[in-house]
Amino acid sequence: LSLSCPGQQTLPDFIVTDWLASSFDDFFGSASIPCSAVAVKPLRGRSGRGHGHKQEHPTPVTESSKARAPARKRAKPSAVDVPCARTRQSQSQSQHELLPWVERYKPETQNDLAVQKKKIEEVETWLKTHVFQGQPKKGGSVLLLTGPPGSGKTATLQILAKDLGLQVQEWTNPLSLDFTKEELKNMLDHDSNFHTFPSQAQAALFQDFLLRANKYNKLQMLGESSENDKKLILVEDIPNQFYREPGSLHEILRRFVRTSRCPLVFIISDNFSGDSNQRSLFPTEILEELCIFNISFKPIAPTNMMKVLNRIAAAEASMNREKSYTLDRNSLELLCKGCSGDIRSAINSLQFSSMKDCSLEKEFWSKKKKSSTIKCEEAEVSKVRKKSKCDTSEDQDIQAIGGKDASIFLFHALGKIIYSKREAVSEAESPQLPAHLSEHRRDTLLIQPEDIVEKSHMSGSMFNLYLHQNYLDFFSDIDDVVRASEYLSTADVICSNWSTRLVMESYSASVATRGVIHSNTSRAFAHQHGGKGFRPLHKPQWFLINKKYQENCLAAKSLFSSFCLPPECLQTELLPYLAMLANPMRNQAQIAFIQDVGRLPLKRHFGRLKLEALSDKDPGVPELFQWDGDSADGNPEGLPLPSSQSSTSDLPGSQPQPVTAQAILDEEELQIEEYDSD
Amino acid sequence: MSLWADKHRPGALARLDFHREQAARLRNLVQCGDFPHLLVYGPSGAGKKTRIMCLLRELYGPGVEKLRIEHQSITAPSKKKIEISTIASNYHLEVNPSDAGNNDRVVIQELLKTVAQSQQLETSTQRDFKVVLLTEVDKLTKDAQHALRRTMEKYMATCRLILCCNSMSKIIGPIQSRCLAVRVPAPSIEDICHVLSSVCKKEGLTLPHELAQRIAEKSGRNLRKALLMCESCRVQQYPFTADQDIPEMDWEVYLRETADAIVGQQTPQRLLEVRGRLYELLTHCIPPEIVMKVLLTELLNNCDGQLKGEVAQMAAFYEHRLQLGSKAIYHLEAFVAKFMAIYKKFMEDGLDDMMF
Repeated sequence: LSLSCPGQQTLPDFIVTDWLASSFDDFFGSASIPCSAVAVKPLRGRSGRGHGHKQEHPTPVTESSKARAPARKRAKPSAVDVPCARTRQSQSQSQHELLPWVERYKPETQNDLAVQKKKIEEVETWLKTHVFQGQPKKGGSVLLLTGPPGSGKTATLQILAKDLGLQVQEWTNPLSLDFTKEELKNMLDHDSNFHTFPSQAQAALFQDFLLRANKYNKLQMLGESSENDKKLILVEDIPNQFYREPGSLHEILRRFVRTSRCPLVFIISDNFSGDSNQRSLFPTEILEELCIFNISFKPIAPTNMMKVLNRIAAAEASMNREKSYTLDRNSLELLCKGCSGDIRSAINSLQFSSMKDCSLEKEFWSKKKKSSTIKCEEAEVSKVRKKSKCDTSEDQDIQAIGGKDASIFLFHALGKIIYSKREAVSEAESPQLPAHLSEHRRDTLLIQPEDIVEKSHMSGSMFNLYLHQNYLDFFSDIDDVVRASEYLSTADVICSNWSTRLVMESYSASVATRGVIHSNTSRAFAHQHGGKGFRPLHKPQWFLINKKYQENCLAAKSLFSSFCLPPECLQTELLPYLAMLANPMRNQAQIAFIQDVGRLPLKRHFGRLKLEALSDKDPGVPELFQWDGDSADGNPEGLPLPSSQSSTSDLPGSQPQPVTAQAILDEEELQIEEYDSD
Repeated sequence: MSLWADKHRPGALARLDFHREQAARLRNLVQCGDFPHLLVYGPSGAGKKTRIMCLLRELYGPGVEKLRIEHQSITAPSKKKIEISTIASNYHLEVNPSDAGNNDRVVIQELLKTVAQSQQLETSTQRDFKVVLLTEVDKLTKDAQHALRRTMEKYMATCRLILCCNSMSKIIGPIQSRCLAVRVPAPSIEDICHVLSSVCKKEGLTLPHELAQRIAEKSGRNLRKALLMCESCRVQQYPFTADQDIPEMDWEVYLRETADAIVGQQTPQRLLEVRGRLYELLTHCIPPEIVMKVLLTELLNNCDGQLKGEVAQMAAFYEHRLQLGSKAIYHLEAFVAKFMAIYKKFMEDGLDDMMF
């Protein structure tokens, strides 16, 4: 075996260790890996250690994932077995008490889970159909679990796997330290691909893992029962390489799906910042192509969360009354609200705020309680305002506890602004507006537009663009539109100066959002639910349009520089007429450009430009905005604008190909020569 | 085969077709071999560039017409590379500094410096100075204009500037006072008719006088546009007839349709459609200011005299906003919405008056 690895011959001491290792592998693994299979396995240009690593793979993967699991932030079943540790020995009990509550009170049965019952059932049925009914007829068995962090994705899967008697084989990203000296040396020898090597190796290892885990069963160790040979593969850590090149992951998945024997589960947390993992790694085409089933978890509902928190608080209180401070119901509710559906963070902050020996904390809590009770009393007096008042006061409280920063997806943020909720104000309570201002009378808003913009994690001007794209659908009166559009226009002017933009953007968003909310008279009062029902939301077209405008202007300048005209004349006079002249002297790129830009789709019943719908979890920043920098090599073909060429069928016969950027550059060079010869 | 506008461009001051008196004066100006910095201004299509090139030819001889396009890259102090293309002959350099956007100051400083610092080698056949022709000076930022003022003083010995722009109003006073201002007014209708018929004669075509008159009127006294129109008439139909259609530019027709759509219905849905059309215009390289201007003209054609003042005022207001702001669509849309509201109110009032 060692002879088949050329790298080992030069370094004797490595041979020894490697030999030892591989021989142990053989010793343990003889049952499952026949020697012939190992010998035949191709090396694929990788060094000896890599080969050894491969051999020992089937054994250590399951082992190491189990062993490493407790070290990771997430709770694993092996970490704690029984929730009530008092019956155990003292040592294990003290150890148990040192565990964070998240670990100590991790759910054990389906009933403990705070996740919606429906979601659990969904996952369960999927697992059942794909594990126990053998091979599904079509497509592979890949499941994708998504949802915000702390919504119980992993816990659900672990518990279901336990209930169904499935082994979970989990992929963990190997550390780069796993490379041996020899491998490093190899890498340094061919230093040409030094930088790319580790990541490629990671991707290769991942592929290897998938295929092996798919093919081979876990080794049967001494004392383990052999009855459950069903298993599933779980991937939560995705090798970094795939973020850069999602294509390689798709390739691996395609291969996996073709040969899959056991289900593969991906767990990906939603995130609110622009780079959505789910969207880049699993675009919808791939989901459809590979029949990947996507189950999206919701944030834990407050009632479920309360149940769990109560249970934990009760258990703690019964266990050691002297050590921790018991929270009352009010505080628990505050906690619940503060962590926006993230149960892990809720339990953490519950533990944190129950620390008794922190005297400051106690005062802090009592003060909080007092203030909130006062608020509530107030609220009962003025019943009408109760909700909004309490909301704001509690919001502030939560900030103080150190709860999570709440954030909402853009889709919901826009919805909140557009379908602005109001609450009726009783006549007696609020001072009436004078008669000449009566048209501006509105019921109290139940939302804080500034908060919403902030929570959408977006710059003000960007949010305004989204708002601008969508507000018209929800207006029915043109006079309202006038006011709203004027506010939007003002908002744009406010943040136009680049030196003050950062500061002004929040003001600008405030003007725009409040302006749009206020001007929609069909939603002025609580009882009005404004003429229009649900309308789909869209992404702003402005970036695309603006980019195209800039690109076309640049192209015009470079293609027609020989006319020595200022851009404005060129674009508004020369190009449109050139389109009519069909002058034979122009070259292909020029003809194409003229026909595209000089012509407009006249007399056609105009529809709207193709819109990209904004879906539930889209990140805020459109992709166009991100590759603003390299607009030069954007391919005009890819832009979803309707080409106006389609409408002009009476073009001169030689209909040119669409211009690519390269063609433009080439033509530019030609152009200069041509001009010289004149 | 080039465009008529280029092909029949007069090459000498003496051969210019209109404003002959001014041409004679310009010839006198360069007779002595030197001239002050010039600031040539006038509406588009009035023949500013033609006049300048004639002047240079008078000064340097036919060598001026041998042009080459150069792409220069200038490094700004912030290490940013700026690409700009210039058109140059052996004697002069033409550049549009506003191509560089916000970095126009750097272009002015660096480019002029490199040109002006090198002395002319052979003073026997050449002049002592080079000429730099700056176009679209009114689009320069204030910064760049101040840089220009300094450069003008510093390199007076080796370099003359000819500034070319549409309007003097955006040029700072110090520059105006350092230049000899030459106003090139738009040609009159008769001038244009004359040019059109002479061009057609050179092309071997007969142009009916009525058609020439109509083209001239339609061109808005823009000679380039008139020539382009005439040439497209030729493509459309020859022999010419006096009452043939004069082709219009697509975007103008499109804007007229848009204006009709606005007048036809005043609802948010229609506004949404109009927004789509405005986007379409922008992607076809029509600058937002022009959209605003032409749209206003079309709308004014459609509305009652009473409204015109108010509508124009709104247009001015949003045009100003457009200049201040960064995203044109907000302001264009706000203007359209405002017009819709004004118009709708007017129509409803009119209906009420009719009823009672």
